[in-house]
Amino acid sequence: MSSTVYVDRGSSIHRLNPVTKLVAMLCIIVIVFALPVWWVSGLVLAVAIIPAAVVSRCGRKLSRISATILLPILVVLFVVQGLTFPGGKTALISWGVFTVTSEGLHFALGIGLRLVCLVLASVLLVLTTHPGDLMSALTARGMSPKFGYIISSTLQLIPAFRDRANAILLAQQARGLSVRGSPLRRIKIMMPLLGPLILGMFTDVEDRSTAMEARGFGSTARRTSLVPVPDSSVQRVSRWAMPMVSLAVIVVPFATGAL
Amino acid sequence: MIRLDGVSYAYPDTVRPVLENVSLDIGRGTIAGILGASGAGKTTLAKIIAGFIPHVDGGELSGTVSVEGQGMGDLQLAEAVSRVGLVIQNPFNQISGARYTVREEIAFGLENFGVARPEMQDRVGEVADLLNLGPLLDRSPYELSGGQQQLVAIASMIVLRTPVLVMDEPTSQLDPAGTRMVFDVLSTLRGAGITVVIFEHKLELLHQHADVLYVLADRSIVAAGDPTDILADAHLAEWHIGSTRYTRVARAAQKRGLLAGLRHLPVSLEQAVAVFADDGGAR
Ligand SMILES: Nc1ncnc2c1ncn2[C@@H]1O[C@H](COP(=O)(O)OP(=O)(O)OP(=O)(O)O)[C@@H](O)[C@H]1O
Ligand SMILES: [Mg+2]
Repeated sequence: MSSTVYVDRGSSIHRLNPVTKLVAMLCIIVIVFALPVWWVSGLVLAVAIIPAAVVSRCGRKLSRISATILLPILVVLFVVQGLTFPGGKTALISWGVFTVTSEGLHFALGIGLRLVCLVLASVLLVLTTHPGDLMSALTARGMSPKFGYIISSTLQLIPAFRDRANAILLAQQARGLSVRGSPLRRIKIMMPLLGPLILGMFTDVEDRSTAMEARGFGSTARRTSLVPVPDSSVQRVSRWAMPMVSLAVIVVPFATGAL
Repeated sequence: MIRLDGVSYAYPDTVRPVLENVSLDIGRGTIAGILGASGAGKTTLAKIIAGFIPHVDGGELSGTVSVEGQGMGDLQLAEAVSRVGLVIQNPFNQISGARYTVREEIAFGLENFGVARPEMQDRVGEVADLLNLGPLLDRSPYELSGGQQQLVAIASMIVLRTPVLVMDEPTSQLDPAGTRMVFDVLSTLRGAGITVVIFEHKLELLHQHADVLYVLADRSIVAAGDPTDILADAHLAEWHIGSTRYTRVARAAQKRGLLAGLRHLPVSLEQAVAVFADDGGAR
């Protein structure tokens, strides 16, 4: 049972400090959304995201997951903006009351490329960073351990609860419950299963918090970690440098009147 | 070491107390077994000894609970848990969900208490050896069988080296070999001066390893003492505790006219052999 999409390919991207990757991702997103020119996204894709994807050796999984997320959004975006963009004058295709304008397509391209950058950068982070490592790295930098726990345990517990739901369903089927039939009938059958599942979750939460406290989760001691978080002086510098450079890239064109 | 004096407890929003006038006195470095039928209040008593009642669960607690002379009610929970470790009944719920390998899962408590990395590595390695968890260390705790999860849960408490360890049915999912291994580990801990309170149904192993047994029934401690005496107690059936297979064999033999006049039924293999040898000799 795999609870995360993380794939351990052991590349140099995988071995970066999770916070370095998080900062890089945020900088990319801020740059492409702050600068109002479409080719910036293309440039970021070409010089940062695609090379990183190649180095990480996760390209195939990255494209598959991103395509699933992006395709529906992009299709809707191009259709809607192509047809209804308010400033649309240059008609490309006309079909009855529908007119596709080049301004509309241009606008859709700008937004679409930004979304592509956003999704690719975030999925790449998730693919190359174990959520546990990200949480450890953030807690080590002062993020509340309770917050970190909520996130990482949710990621792990979802599949565990899915398994339990399946187990309850199997138990009911073993007692002669049939889950075939119309969708409405299936929903009716599933309803009583929610009871044991949710009740189980509540007693579990109590039990879990007892177990967590028993292991010092409420302790005020300064936490340590068994597995060291990888880091280097280059990365420490770049975690400061990347936001600075991004800021400059955004501010300078405006200040000099280039945009 | 562990003293309970006249402890009574009712869960929040309930009228009837679950425990009434419970008193215990368990010495340092002993293994105390507590027997009780389902619903007798074992889990409740375990949480009282570990300080979770009333710190977390609320409800009406009266009487005194102390560990090493320190009243558990006067301590902060974080302080209480560094003195008394609790292995909860359901091992699945003991897994933190915050760590991705068994190795890190075992170290989780040590991380919270801020133990330095080299010492953590030593201690994790040590309990992994003790409980044969070496081959599982790099697996996800969620990919383990129930029994394996139970061993990880036990390991993750033992590794904290609390002076007292309370275990709520810690071998319920284990096979006979795993169960024996856990009891052997408890004996090792006792050798290191750790006090173990174990809520358990496996009478023969309790007879071999426990120094003292208590019986929890009718909301209170109804019997306490040497394991051999307790397990031979004629009331065990009334308390729904059952008896060891040696006692059952002797009883069945008596029904067929064997072992006539025997007062003390055997509770262990050695005693059973002795009893039957005597009987055979008498014929
Ligand atoms: N949170 C609660 N609120 C109210 N009553 C409770 C609560 N937890 C347990 N009880 C009741 O207290 C009694 C003792 O429960 P407890 O869980 O301590 O028994 P147990 O000996 O551990 O049983 P088992 O062998 O099934 O684990 C039971 O009658 C139970 O219904
Ligand atoms: Mg119980």
